[in-house]
Amino acid sequence: MLEPQRRDQALGMALLAPTVLLFALLIFYPVAQSLFLSLHRVSTLTLRTQWIGLANFRALFADPAFRISFINTLIWTVSAVSLQLVLGVGVALLLNGRLVGRSAARGLLLFPYLLPTAVAVLVWRWLFNDLYGLINYALMSIGLISAPVPWLSQSPNAMITVILVGTWKFFPFVVIAVLARLQSIPESLYEAARIDGAGRWAQFWDITLPQLAGVLSVVILLRSIWDFKEFDLIYLMTGGGPGISTQTLPILVYRQAFQLLNFGRGAAVAVTMFGFMLLFFAVHVWVTRRREVEA
Amino acid sequence: MRRGTVGFALYNLLVWALVLAVVFPLLWMISTALKPNDETFAIPPTLIPAHPTLEQFRRLLVETPFITYFLNSVIVGVCTTLLVIVVAVAGAYGLVRFRFPGRTLIAHLVLFTYMLPAVVLLLPLYLTISAIGLANSLLGLVIAYTTFALPFALWLLRSFIAGIPVELEQAAMIDGAGRIRAFIEVVLPQALPGIISTALFSFVLSWNEYLYALVFINVDDRKTLPPGVLTMLNQNQNVEWALLMAASVLMSVPVLVCFAFLQKHLTRGFGAGSVKG
Repeated sequence: MLEPQRRDQALGMALLAPTVLLFALLIFYPVAQSLFLSLHRVSTLTLRTQWIGLANFRALFADPAFRISFINTLIWTVSAVSLQLVLGVGVALLLNGRLVGRSAARGLLLFPYLLPTAVAVLVWRWLFNDLYGLINYALMSIGLISAPVPWLSQSPNAMITVILVGTWKFFPFVVIAVLARLQSIPESLYEAARIDGAGRWAQFWDITLPQLAGVLSVVILLRSIWDFKEFDLIYLMTGGGPGISTQTLPILVYRQAFQLLNFGRGAAVAVTMFGFMLLFFAVHVWVTRRREVEA
Repeated sequence: MRRGTVGFALYNLLVWALVLAVVFPLLWMISTALKPNDETFAIPPTLIPAHPTLEQFRRLLVETPFITYFLNSVIVGVCTTLLVIVVAVAGAYGLVRFRFPGRTLIAHLVLFTYMLPAVVLLLPLYLTISAIGLANSLLGLVIAYTTFALPFALWLLRSFIAGIPVELEQAAMIDGAGRIRAFIEVVLPQALPGIISTALFSFVLSWNEYLYALVFINVDDRKTLPPGVLTMLNQNQNVEWALLMAASVLMSVPVLVCFAFLQKHLTRGFGAGSVKG
């Protein structure tokens, strides 16, 4: 019998050759180069390199700016992911009822997620504008504040604002993933629970949440990875400021490498981030393996 | 029964109010884009423009380099997509249908590179692309965009191609078709919806990209939309918000067009854990 899966290994490898080549040139080689640069002092002018071992990392870890950026990254990632999760699951549950025009609502809710970050940032910077922004105007006219709030030019306002905008931009991902899963929970489970006299809360805790556990673990992980490495949204909202109060690790890489022209130090931050990604990835592989075993 | 009807109406009202609140910033963007400059700063602000005008769009197209940015974005998006699709269709088919040493390793690597932060590759890619004389060129951007679009496309196409029954190819090959003919005549048509979705997603990814475009391009006439339009924000002392909102609207249109085509495939793409953000 013909068995395509076992035939002509060579053809399979030929089909993969362009992929492997591009990966090697555009991903593996640069990653290796990042490692190399992080262990060297690099002259920006001549690009001549000098081996200095772990000195870049030592200087980095001793630098308060690195510690602040790291803590900012944690604050941003944890807050944004948590808010996206709560809002996303809540909205998905709401959409799962007998809603008129549900697919239209789902489509509209996706807009923030799909639009360019640059657009989202422009709109929100206009809304949050100190003097003419709609948000300050609305809050003042209902009497919640008496003077315009500097949303982006003061700490800790700036971090809070960035987290809110990040939540708005990325929570639709949670909605779509959770809604798809909700629609595949068999109605019979709920019927059985109702016969046993379970109320709405009990149904949510005992049926919905356990059924969502799998998709939620993947969603949390993916959103954590993506928010951890987010550059565009934060950089465009605040540039990392005021001061370095919203500077996260990706912004630190950019600043070190392209504003301070300290290539070695920039590479050291990048390599540190790479280490965290390896950790995230290990967790991801572990979680998906466990899900496959369960399923 | 009456209570049920009232509850139903209330529930619908509440949810739709929420949906509108979420998209409100985008309505505000459109509203501002249709205002003349002096109305932008009117107090109280007008939700619906009192004197709607297309003046901002005219100025954007005539007085700013917007069209240049737009065309650059189209060129980079289309080239990246074409390159990535050709490579990824072959690669994904190879990964799904052939067994050879290192296959699982490659699958894992694809996923890992798909999650890799752009800032890890940014500096070395910049040095390499400058060294081969492609700094400030759109080709340099296409090369950089391949680093995220290719793993993404491979991952998405892999799940699409894995969903095609292998029996179809076997049948074609029993009928005397070679492996390659079976691929072209059987697999490609079956995979076409998946390929189109992947292409549209890849295009949107490169259309929205900001960081590489910011670092690699320093001359105005090669800029793509995101850094180009943000230059317009930072250039002036008095920010012309109406003009910027008009730019935002036009920047969003291609994404929404792609999205309209994608509607029916979206749930599936998300299900594969695939949409990047």
